[in-house]
Amino acid sequence: MEDSAFSDEFCRFIQTCVTSVDAAELLLKLARQPERWFEPPELARSLAPATTISEADLARYLAQFQAGGLVAIGPDKRIQYRPASGTHAKHVEMLAQAYKERPVTLFRVIYALRDLKIQSFADAFKLIRK
Amino acid sequence: MVTFEFILYGFAVLTSLGCMLLLFRAYAATAMRLLLWSALCFVCLSINNVLLFVDLVVLPTEVDLRPYRLFAALAGLLFLLYGFIWEAE
Amino acid sequence: MIEFMSGAVTLGFVIAAVFFLRFWRRTSDRLFLVFALGFFLLALNQALAQWLGAADERVGYAYLLRVIGFVIILAAIVDKNLARGGPGRLRR
Repeated sequence: MEDSAFSDEFCRFIQTCVTSVDAAELLLKLARQPERWFEPPELARSLAPATTISEADLARYLAQFQAGGLVAIGPDKRIQYRPASGTHAKHVEMLAQAYKERPVTLFRVIYALRDLKIQSFADAFKLIRK
Repeated sequence: MVTFEFILYGFAVLTSLGCMLLLFRAYAATAMRLLLWSALCFVCLSINNVLLFVDLVVLPTEVDLRPYRLFAALAGLLFLLYGFIWEAE
Repeated sequence: MIEFMSGAVTLGFVIAAVFFLRFWRRTSDRLFLVFALGFFLLALNQALAQWLGAADERVGYAYLLRVIGFVIILAAIVDKNLARGGPGRLRR
């Protein structure tokens, strides 16, 4: 997987749907068992002990997945991986590949994108813009 | 003493104006709303500094602009905090 | 009303300073650390001006803190423009 794999489109997907490494792990967990309906608490527990996710973060990530067209949430609050289109599915596949093959780069991209707006504030004070 | 104060408070006015211009310029380049809110904050802080300049240097005994100064500062901070809370994540 | 507004402005500057500290932790960009310091001084100026009262305030010493606050903000901008490279943008 090359650097060019982090296309603008893929980066936008990460910026809106995968705002932390925990969110990436959650999404990949869902995507590995696309048939299964997960209970949210059980989903969070399944990542322990390597990853612990607070209830508030869990709710936020799941809402981001739903808004991004990645999951279906049932009336009983259970959740299933359900990409809204082939593009959505492709992005999740790329995420899985990046997570497996180039995790360090992926993590750096996730946090850099998250902090992009904040960084833009500091960069506003550069007199010479590149 | 008047010149000294003139320079000090004039300096604060210029710095806040400079921040405002840089933030507006960056907003024009990136269209990130965080920068717009921050720029508006520095508009208000600049107004606040101009009023302070008038209040303390130009007309030190004639006027008391404190309510206006406080209002400008408060408005500016509300812009900034709104931007930080809603646009910085 | 003045007291209330003055308190609100003081608290507003403190909250803004705390945000800048948080941004500094997240991006390691020194500009945010220096902005945090500048905004703390603006808060201190506001609190002192109120404590001293309007009569004292006109002497203007408390307002020196405000000017120093803006000097520090200017210093942050100068530092931003002199720093070569600085911490990597991708660093957490």
